[in-house]
Amino acid sequence: MKRAALFLLALPLVAAGPTTVIRNATVITVTKGTFVGSVLIRDGKIVEAGEKVLVPDGARVIDATGKFVMPGIIDCHSHIAADSINEGAVAVSSMVGIEDVVNPDDPDIYRALAGGVTTANVLHGSANPIGGKCEVMKMRWGKDAAGLKFEGAMPGIKFALGENVKRSGSPGGGFGNSPGLRYPASRMGVEDVIREAFTEARAYQKEWRDYQAKVDRHEQAIPPRRDLKLEPLVEVLEGKRYVHAHCYRADEILMLLRVADDFGFKVRTLQHVLEGYKVAKEIAAHGAGASTFSDWWAYKAEAYDAIPYNAALMVRKGVLVSLNSDSAELMRHLNTEAAKAMKYGGLNETEALSLVTINPAKQLGIENRVGSIEPGKDADLAIFDKHPLSNYAKVDKVFIDGELYFDREKDLEERPGKEARKKALSDKLKQQEKKERKRPESPGEKKGDEPGGAQ
Amino acid sequence: MRIFLTLLLALAPLSAAEPILLRGAVVHPVSGPDIPEGAVLVRDGKIAEVGAHISVPKGARVIELKGLHIYPGMIDSATELGLSEIGAVREMNDISDLGLFKPQLRASAAVNPASEHIPVTRANGITSVITSPGGGIIAGQSVLMHLNGWTMEDMAVRAPVAIRMEYPHVQMPGRFGGGEAPGRVSAYTEAKKRYEQQVRELNDFMESARRYGQAKATPGPDFETDLRLEAMLPVLDGKLPLLIRAEKEKTIKEAIAFADKQKVHMILERGAEAWKVAAELKAHDIPVILPPTLRLPDEEDDPYDKPFSVPGELYKAGVKFAFASFGPGSEDNPRNLPYQAAAAVGFGLPVEEALKAVTLYPAQIWGVGGELGSIEKGKWADLIVTDGDPLETRTEIKQVFIKGQSVDLENKHHRLYEKYLTR
Amino acid sequence: MKQLMVMLLAAAFASYGQAPGPIALRGARIVTARGPVLEHGTVLLRNGLIEAVGENIDLPKDAWVIDGQGITVYPGLIDALSTVGLPETPAQPATPPRTETPATPRLGAQEPPMPLEQGPQFRPFTTTWVRAADLLNPADRHIEEARSAGFTSTVTFPATGIFAGQGAFLNLSGEKLGRMVVASPTGQYVTLTTHGFGTYPGSLMGVIAYVRQVSLDADHYQLEMQAYAKHPAGQKRPAYDRAVEGLLESPRLLLPADNAKQLDRMLHFAAELKHPAVLYGGHEAYKIADRVAQSSVPLLINLKWPEKPKDADPDQEESYRTLELRDRAPSSPAALEKAGAKFAFYSGGAPFKDVRKAVKRAIDAGLTEPAAVRALTLSVAEIYGLSDRVGSIEPGKIANLLVVKGDLFDEKSKIQYVFIDGVKYEPVPEAPPAEREGRPTPGGVE
Repeated sequence: MKRAALFLLALPLVAAGPTTVIRNATVITVTKGTFVGSVLIRDGKIVEAGEKVLVPDGARVIDATGKFVMPGIIDCHSHIAADSINEGAVAVSSMVGIEDVVNPDDPDIYRALAGGVTTANVLHGSANPIGGKCEVMKMRWGKDAAGLKFEGAMPGIKFALGENVKRSGSPGGGFGNSPGLRYPASRMGVEDVIREAFTEARAYQKEWRDYQAKVDRHEQAIPPRRDLKLEPLVEVLEGKRYVHAHCYRADEILMLLRVADDFGFKVRTLQHVLEGYKVAKEIAAHGAGASTFSDWWAYKAEAYDAIPYNAALMVRKGVLVSLNSDSAELMRHLNTEAAKAMKYGGLNETEALSLVTINPAKQLGIENRVGSIEPGKDADLAIFDKHPLSNYAKVDKVFIDGELYFDREKDLEERPGKEARKKALSDKLKQQEKKERKRPESPGEKKGDEPGGAQ
Repeated sequence: MRIFLTLLLALAPLSAAEPILLRGAVVHPVSGPDIPEGAVLVRDGKIAEVGAHISVPKGARVIELKGLHIYPGMIDSATELGLSEIGAVREMNDISDLGLFKPQLRASAAVNPASEHIPVTRANGITSVITSPGGGIIAGQSVLMHLNGWTMEDMAVRAPVAIRMEYPHVQMPGRFGGGEAPGRVSAYTEAKKRYEQQVRELNDFMESARRYGQAKATPGPDFETDLRLEAMLPVLDGKLPLLIRAEKEKTIKEAIAFADKQKVHMILERGAEAWKVAAELKAHDIPVILPPTLRLPDEEDDPYDKPFSVPGELYKAGVKFAFASFGPGSEDNPRNLPYQAAAAVGFGLPVEEALKAVTLYPAQIWGVGGELGSIEKGKWADLIVTDGDPLETRTEIKQVFIKGQSVDLENKHHRLYEKYLTR
Repeated sequence: MKQLMVMLLAAAFASYGQAPGPIALRGARIVTARGPVLEHGTVLLRNGLIEAVGENIDLPKDAWVIDGQGITVYPGLIDALSTVGLPETPAQPATPPRTETPATPRLGAQEPPMPLEQGPQFRPFTTTWVRAADLLNPADRHIEEARSAGFTSTVTFPATGIFAGQGAFLNLSGEKLGRMVVASPTGQYVTLTTHGFGTYPGSLMGVIAYVRQVSLDADHYQLEMQAYAKHPAGQKRPAYDRAVEGLLESPRLLLPADNAKQLDRMLHFAAELKHPAVLYGGHEAYKIADRVAQSSVPLLINLKWPEKPKDADPDQEESYRTLELRDRAPSSPAALEKAGAKFAFYSGGAPFKDVRKAVKRAIDAGLTEPAAVRALTLSVAEIYGLSDRVGSIEPGKIANLLVVKGDLFDEKSKIQYVFIDGVKYEPVPEAPPAEREGRPTPGGVE
């Protein structure tokens, strides 16, 4: 109660939907058990979740009898909503960033919403050992680029190891035995690129510290040239930017952890990490999180030893694990992907749902805001018509910051209108095109114009 | 001597010779109502009896399955199983060969029965699959095979089960290869020309095959066997179906017209826009092998749940269909076939129909309706024992029988799991 | 009789040569672009400049008086972003030419691996120092084409590369090079184009990061140069950076922004870079007009309105977004006018003869005529900081005028002639339409 009061005082003046009560549903909080009850939302935050919740005057009441409410799903690895994915021409592309190319018009945002996703970690691709900067986004469909940003989330950067990185430099871009045109072409080279980059970053860091020291001594100095490539790496060294590293093979996972230890930083998450189960011990010891697929395997050589028990095994060994999609399609049903970790490895319901809610929230450092239904957290919620771990379930409504961003009923109602509107516009344009084709070439210029001579 | 024989029987693997009685479970025949506490008798690899009470025959092995369920083994109607091990490694990939018209190429000749994908897939209750070749216009012969056996002779149920082809369509140049650079002024015109040429070539090829068939009937001294054209004869006789891949409404309609004209028995593969042509499909009795339910809408303005709701729409229109994974290389894993079916249930497909579309209907579509697809007397004993609904992920598959033989559910994934559990 | 004499004289001095003495257009409808229209006014030109304009002006005795009955006089049209006047083949960029596809395989050849990291001097597709004024080809047939459509000036930029180079404000007299250039440089044309996955930058975010880095390098370069200039003795001298010098010379950056998300992106980017910016493209500005107005960043609108691609697959469904853009794009100018934003037109990919029709579409969609005229004349001059000398019919300004029989945006009206620097030019008949095949058109985005 005190905590709720404190939060009420601290609430930003955000236009975040009317006070709402989701009533009489099975509430899956993920962190505080499951019960039949209600959730009270005000000013974009969860105020209360319990078996008996008083409905304030004037609150919008959503009757969710027989339905299931869970925290909005968080996808730790996505490439939607961005106009660029890879800057693959150079081995180190840390100067680029998703924040510069956010695409708020991407229909996949809405489609993800319709699958219960409320937050996504949108990453640079896996074309280089050190890739570009990432952005954590909320699926606030309809807002502009700035409106999608998850304010306050720690910035991130993408690393990648293994086959994708090696083949990026190859002629024709495909897999094969031809030597790469862009270094590196082997896993040895991958390590080298990362070590070299951080060695440079250290030197750059020193340059700026020396400059700052001069300034502090009131000496004349001009600042060093800003290097956009090295700045994010210095941030990594200083613990101000999370590293999300795409990796597959056990040996390359260990390689990266060693490099990180040598340079004194932590890998925040290992992504895909399909052989993570082989070195779960080391991953847990380092403190890296692991974000993996539920059951993809055998599409690449390095994925041949992938097993659907990966997530469960790593969980048992004390690793913070999440399930991700890396796919606009899979993103739509992460709830059922989570069920696979029950089938393969015996996780229980709460552990399974944690893989797509509180765990990715922790990995992204946003667990104080999202990932479970607790008072004080953002009202990012999904209402399912059946238990979310059932393949027969579908999403009914999705709230972000207490605002209703997806409503299946409304979506269905609007379809005929949308179709009609499109047809009308299409017909109108067709008419215009027909008229255009019948007209003479352009106004005022008929054949046989004579040069010179005023009329 | 008796002891020796008893030991032999005890040690012998559960062979087809010994009758097996499975009882105490809920039996889901699919072709009829569920039997709440039923039994299934398996003899010589086939289902000998199904019912509420079956007396134990002499020498039968009895397996008590109280609290569990027995379903027919599931059938995946489109896979590359056995032809592709690791998708990105070309050397491990035998899905397609060069050329446009290659009906003589047989998937059954290239399937690797030792593929790791097979044990992994059957562990989730898929007991038989269609493996099809790809590429070109006429890709080759598909095989219907059980997921158990040392050799193709052990595995094949029908080889060939169909000849697979892709109907020509206009292919606009994309960003990555596939024609000229985008932005060329005459992009569509040129693409259309190519498509028209392909249609001509296809019809010429059918014509050649027909004439070959006629020549073969009364062979002259100059008659030479042509394996390519030979392969088409069963299709022209209507004995072998032609599995035609077509996605868009226009292409589907053209494929139907083509099949009509050529008097072949057509099965539509994928048919993303089949829902637009449902009436025609029903009128011609053309079944559809659906694309994966779990995929993105094909057009930007499509409703978000379009791929989920199409199976329901086709069901209401009376079109027969089966689900397929199209994996393991390009799309989803075949082991997830039941979840492709389940995904359609929330959006309009009755749950019994979803189950039928991975059991009875594919069996009927592929012409083996008398042998597979349900728990009925006389059919192969392809059975799965589960602790619940096999279309739900959380359900465990406890036992799998293929042709009456209990199949080892161990596979690469489980082995690695066990190995690293103790590290 | 006097009429005939005037006509004969006019015919004699049809296209070339300087008319002797002052010229006056009397009794015409004059749209000055600043202030109300003069329904019955006179404009006096002398020595290539506008000497006077008004309802009643005293005309010098030696003035060649042209009867303005039935004609409307406008300021000469200005194409705000153009390649007119440049040679057909673009100047070779300083760095390797772009490849369409990832590097073609050369079997057996062992290519040395690319250097792990390219140093600060790596400047792909960057020719900031190239000036359109230095490349002019007065014989470019597009000059005549533009003139015949009522244009007296273009702001011409080199068009290839990320930093393509510096533009020049040109009078389309097409004779002496030196006389054509009114002002140079007018700005730096930036395209944000990529050049294939295998060449840096190969992605939009790569180009943006690159432009940002160059901008930071320019800031640093200035600090370095200034510090060195103060105490050269005993100091290591900073390296001359041609690309940065070219950027520092440019009074403004032109950045591409066609649809709403690009406009949003570039408005943020422009605020970040310390250089004044101008955006070009603007087709979806109707969605974001208030924001554009608030930012005070000028927007050049491409008059080639989106249309259905010529050889599209008729069976391929187009998205609603695409259709909506096609429908609403011509309403962007009206939305910008209403919001009070600063904008101007450029021909983009549209042939010059279609420009008036394209503007008419904007007028039909709500743009007022005075705003339309301004967007083709005075606003362009203002955006480029040259409104003190060109862009409207006011005393002292350069004598660039457009004379039309009827109203400029009326389908049936005819362009009579233009004055450029006080010299009269007649339109040429519509010969082979100068389609801009194989020539980079400015205004391409992404």
